[in-house]
Amino acid sequence: MARMQPGVITYSGFLGKDIRDYGQIIADDEMVLEELGKSAEEIADRLEFFQQMSFDAFEASTMVEKIYDVNTEVVRGYLPCPFMHQGVYRKSYTTVTNTKSGKSFTYSALNIHLIRVHHFFEGKESHFRLEPRELVAELF
Amino acid sequence: MLSRIFQDIGLMSAIGVILALIMVLAQRWLSNYGEVTININKKRDLVVTGGNSLLSSLADKQIFIPSACGGRGTCGACKCKVLEGGGPILPTEKPQLSKEEMADNIRLSCQVKVKSDIAIQIPEEIFNIRRFHSVIEEIIDYTYDIKGVTFKLEEGQSIDFKAGQYVQLETKPYGKVKQKAIRAYSISSKPEFNNRIQLIIRLVPEGICTTWVHTALKVGDKVDFTGPYGDFYLRDNDADILFVAGGSGSAPIKSMLEHLREVGTSRKMTYFFGARTTKDLYLGDEMRDFEEYFDDFTYVPVLSHPTEEDNLQGKTGFLMPYFKEAIRDPKNTEAYLCGSPGMIAAVTKSLINDYGIAEGKIYYDSFG
Repeated sequence: MARMQPGVITYSGFLGKDIRDYGQIIADDEMVLEELGKSAEEIADRLEFFQQMSFDAFEASTMVEKIYDVNTEVVRGYLPCPFMHQGVYRKSYTTVTNTKSGKSFTYSALNIHLIRVHHFFEGKESHFRLEPRELVAELF
Repeated sequence: MLSRIFQDIGLMSAIGVILALIMVLAQRWLSNYGEVTININKKRDLVVTGGNSLLSSLADKQIFIPSACGGRGTCGACKCKVLEGGGPILPTEKPQLSKEEMADNIRLSCQVKVKSDIAIQIPEEIFNIRRFHSVIEEIIDYTYDIKGVTFKLEEGQSIDFKAGQYVQLETKPYGKVKQKAIRAYSISSKPEFNNRIQLIIRLVPEGICTTWVHTALKVGDKVDFTGPYGDFYLRDNDADILFVAGGSGSAPIKSMLEHLREVGTSRKMTYFFGARTTKDLYLGDEMRDFEEYFDDFTYVPVLSHPTEEDNLQGKTGFLMPYFKEAIRDPKNTEAYLCGSPGMIAAVTKSLINDYGIAEGKIYYDSFG
């Protein structure tokens, strides 16, 4: 899919150095989710929850559930969905840090849509690749 | 047997070529809409070749409607009112239009195809928007992720803008990027310098245009842009001014301050700049110069996430509590804000509810 490629929507594209096509990436991640007993929708909901908490705090640093330090940075502009979905997603970058483990995740509003609707966590070594296994271990 | 296979392959190829030719000819014939007329503001007619988008048809005639996504229907910046023609609203437009806008026949000009005569209404200011050719004159590293870039206009060109307005920069193919991208940036230089502009550009993770500026652009490179755009500009009156910005939001404020230094002012002005750490502060020397030059100007940097190394003596946390020191008469104060939607929302709410500043006197340029 052309819109997944570098330089179309984002500088490096959505597939990273992954040699699998996006369909296989989705299928493999869905198998991981099944093994973990979590759905893509549950993960998207959780990421959106943190993002919303940050928006509610006017994007300032905020502590959620006593262990998650959440920040959001918004820059000018919007991103479309590479799957040709209608609509655009604000260029907002939320960073959630689990202060117990020190592990951080940064994701955009588009990531939430890609996970919820397409079960797409992006290709390996893509800039915004999110590992389902790590998300489940650290954010739930 | 082998010759039969080659014969079949040859036959199939010939059929394919003939079908392709028929399709090309049919497309050329069927999609030939001839010349059509675009009536603008019931005043002026443009004759264009039919079949192209309204946005590009107007651009061909040097009329530039703002568009930050290059006509993909994703930014929603190219809205205009269609008075007649244009066909029904397309599914590609609906995500960007409110019910009220749809009822008012507001359309995305990048999605409307001009296949027959059409009448539109656009703001008069749009006629001041032009395409400029420039050469990069200077690139300054303000911080680890913010650069100031000066674009010198081609000989004979000059730009007429108001402090606070923005331009749309057009990238060239580079590295992995094979196509042009268009992005909006506020002008950070003064309008009195009308043969060059400066933009302040922050590196955005994975951003196509900002990565180009930060990694590929060099002094001497040729760059095109269009402008000026926007209704965020300094109002000419005697009211006290509160400037509030965060991140690269300093750009239009710097332009306004430089303009005021040119024209002279005795207005009381305070500039609150929000940054995460001292690493994110920039233009400090320029602001100190302004403090020395103006009768009543104060620069107040406020850090939201000061580190121990910052060893900051100054202000920290939210910006809003510090406004108290700057507002002497809410009825005679106006505010100019530039930054993220969260910052704009928080500051606007506080200015209205906590400090009694009228909503109509708060002007902003939101990144959202």
